[in-house]
Amino acid sequence: MYSISNSHSHNRFLMAIRLAVVPCMLWGYAVQAEKLPQNLQIHGFASQSWLKSSGNNNVFGKSASDDGSFDFRELGLNASMRPLPKLQFSAQMLSRWAGKGSPGNIRLDYGFLDYTMFSGESNQLGIRLGRMKNPIGFYNDTRDVPFTRPSILLPQSIYFDRTRKLALAADGAHLYGEQRSDIGNISFQLGVARPLVRGAEAEVALLGSDRSGRFVSEMSYIGRVVYELDEGRFRLAFSGSQLNIGYSPTVSDPIQAGSIRFTPLVFSAQYNAERWSLTSEYALRHFEYKNFGVAPLALDFYGESYYFQGAYRFTPEWEAVVRYDVLYTDRNDRSGSKWAAASGRPAHNRFAKDITVGLRWNVTPEFMLRAEYHRVNGTGWLSTLDNPVPGDLSQNWNLFSILGSYRF
Amino acid sequence: MTIKKNTGRLILLLYLLLSMLCTISIARATDHYEIVTHPGVSEKTITRSTLRAIFGMRLHEWPDGTAIRIFVMPDDTPLHATFAKEALNVFPYQLRAAWDRLVFSGTGQAPNTVSSPQEMLAKVASTPGAIGYLTKSRMDGSVNVLHIK
Repeated sequence: MYSISNSHSHNRFLMAIRLAVVPCMLWGYAVQAEKLPQNLQIHGFASQSWLKSSGNNNVFGKSASDDGSFDFRELGLNASMRPLPKLQFSAQMLSRWAGKGSPGNIRLDYGFLDYTMFSGESNQLGIRLGRMKNPIGFYNDTRDVPFTRPSILLPQSIYFDRTRKLALAADGAHLYGEQRSDIGNISFQLGVARPLVRGAEAEVALLGSDRSGRFVSEMSYIGRVVYELDEGRFRLAFSGSQLNIGYSPTVSDPIQAGSIRFTPLVFSAQYNAERWSLTSEYALRHFEYKNFGVAPLALDFYGESYYFQGAYRFTPEWEAVVRYDVLYTDRNDRSGSKWAAASGRPAHNRFAKDITVGLRWNVTPEFMLRAEYHRVNGTGWLSTLDNPVPGDLSQNWNLFSILGSYRF
Repeated sequence: MTIKKNTGRLILLLYLLLSMLCTISIARATDHYEIVTHPGVSEKTITRSTLRAIFGMRLHEWPDGTAIRIFVMPDDTPLHATFAKEALNVFPYQLRAAWDRLVFSGTGQAPNTVSSPQEMLAKVASTPGAIGYLTKSRMDGSVNVLHIK
């Protein structure tokens, strides 16, 4: 059986994509070369946004310019195959343009094999090997897929776009399991992996500038436990990670071979009724910098974030969302005043309070339009790459955005 | 272009969008449905939590090791909504959200979508390990019926 879900009207487009993806799937064919692939599925998405912001505060390209920014595009294509009930291969290629931090290069978003070691009527246990998305909170696993997000921009206090690569995915092994019962399901994922830390984005976000040396990923640990009542009517999750990164300096580097340990803990809760959903997440993020040999990089602090979000579905086609999202870069300096006194930079670089309202229109099951407005106090989550001069930023600013997204 | 203008435009847009909202479609009563399986599936009864795990795309094989093949109608069909709410006690949007999380993180697959009851009957009758749902009037002896315990 060669099946593609929801393939009613765009067979030609799909055929072109199938041709493009066949090479990626050859490794999958190899496991059962004698017949046609079983349960091969191909899915993808493409989205384009326009953003316009006030002041000099740029979000994904020059959004503060007169014309706004079209520099936010997401393209993804994935394939999965289940040659045996216990075995699945999955891979997704992603291309993302989002200001200077994401220049649109095509890369492997995830690629792994999934083997169910045990599967009973009420429980299962399995293992995944390869590059997996990091299980953090409700949205990290599918954060680049507009259809799975509650809004155009995810709550930036927890799902930072400026340090996204660090938390995005990692190469290693995951153990997963599930226990089902009449009083709800408990599932977990536990992983040992190396985070993805290449590129300027992580260095600018964590060290303040693009250094001559480079980050090296070290063994890291990640886990999430989820409780679901009635197949997701009520969802409760706890995610904890310890991401370890080393720094390898060059000969002339003013900083030494230090290391960074990032330990984010996220508590998540959601209630889903027929018309409305309430979601809230709280995160405590511990940063420890060691052995860099310079005082400004001897850091040990906790960041704190939370948001409350309500969504209402007027009809299956129309949905409205409202959210209040708060970020404190250092929970012991919420106003940023201590940091401002020490660094000479504006205090509002260290927090952000974002009120968001948005509307989603599912024009067809495959095509969606969105519009949203943000009123933000603080510049804590703005990308340093898109906003190189912190003194230019306005503390109180607005962001308006529209997005169109297609999926299959 | 100033942000004030944009705010004004947004308010106008919101007003237009809201004013265009169609009336909520009232799900027409569907005549009674059954959960159906391929005749080779030996199960006659199933627990609700197992049925949810199957349609949640998290349980992949029958007790005898046969792969489970899941068939559903499109999200907006009345039979799908009735089946989701009555048999699984979930709303169609929750199923779609759960399938999307699996498909776009690589941790699972989407069910096979059929476009008509005729196709549902034909696919379930001819695909080993298949499970789906059908109104009683559309059924014939080519599929088995599965009852919730």
